[in-house]
Amino acid sequence: MTADQIEQEIVIDAPVERVWAVLTEPGYIGKWFGQGDPTPVDLRPGGFMHLDHGENGKFACRIEKVDPPHLLAYRWASAYPGEEATDDNSTLVEFTLTPDGATTRLRVVESGFASLSIPPERVASAGYDSHLLGWPEVLGNLRRYAEQPAA
Amino acid sequence: MTTESDAAGAVLAALADPTRRLILDTLASRGEASATALADTLPVTRQAILQHLSLLERVGLVASRKDGRERRYAVRPRQLLDTARWMNQVAAQWNARLATIKRLAEEPDSPRPEAPEPESPESQSPPGR
Repeated sequence: MTADQIEQEIVIDAPVERVWAVLTEPGYIGKWFGQGDPTPVDLRPGGFMHLDHGENGKFACRIEKVDPPHLLAYRWASAYPGEEATDDNSTLVEFTLTPDGATTRLRVVESGFASLSIPPERVASAGYDSHLLGWPEVLGNLRRYAEQPAA
Repeated sequence: MTTESDAAGAVLAALADPTRRLILDTLASRGEASATALADTLPVTRQAILQHLSLLERVGLVASRKDGRERRYAVRPRQLLDTARWMNQVAAQWNARLATIKRLAEEPDSPRPEAPEPESPESQSPPGR
C-alpha cells in the first residue's frame, strides 16, 4: 500500500478506438503531451515514447503495457529530463479506457511518488497558489490521494 | 536521513501509514501534545506513537520541544504544504492533458496530424468488394 498516487478521470464523447488513437498515435501524442510536433513512439512493452516538454526538457518514457484499446502504461522520469525512464527514477503512468455506450471513460493514474527523489527546485517551482490552501485542507487532499487503492 | 532532494517522497511515504495520518490529524486539532496524551485518545500504544512521531519528525512533518519530563509535539506545515502544492500541480497538469485528449477525440472531422492509418475494414471497404 502506498500513499503516492494521483488519479484523474474524464468522460469523452467519442468511441474507445478513437480515444485510443488520440492517446497513442505519434501526431496526437505530440499535441496533448508535447510541443505539437509528432512524437516518436515505439508502441510495445520496452519501447520508448519520446516526449518534448520544451524548456522542461525531453523525456524518454518506457512503455510497460499496451492492450489496445483499453490500457496503456509507461514509466516517466519527470524529474530527470534527458534520462531514460527506469524502475528507479520514474513514476508509473497508467491510462485505462472504458467504453460506456457511445462515450469513453478515460482514467489516468500516476503512481510511485513516494519512492521517487524529487530535486528541490522542482518541488519549489510548483506553481500552485499556496495562499488558497489552509493546511488541514492540504492534509485532507493528501489523505484523499493516500486512501486511493494501490494500483 | 532525509535530504532536501527527496523531501516530497519522504513526506508521501510517511503519510502512507493511516496511524501516522491519525496522529497528524490529532496534533493539528490540538495544537500540541505529548506522546502520553496522544496515547490516551488514540487506539495506539504510547511506544508505537513514539516511533511514529520519531519518523514524522525526521521527515519534518512535526517538531518537538522538551517540557519538563515530557516532550511535546506539534505539526510543522511547511513540508506538507510543499508536497501538497506539488501533488496538486501534478494533478492539475493531468487534468489539462485529459481535457486536451477529450478535445482532440471529440473532433472527429479534424484531419489526423500524421499520415492517417487505414480506417477500420467496415468503413473502408469499397463497394462491391
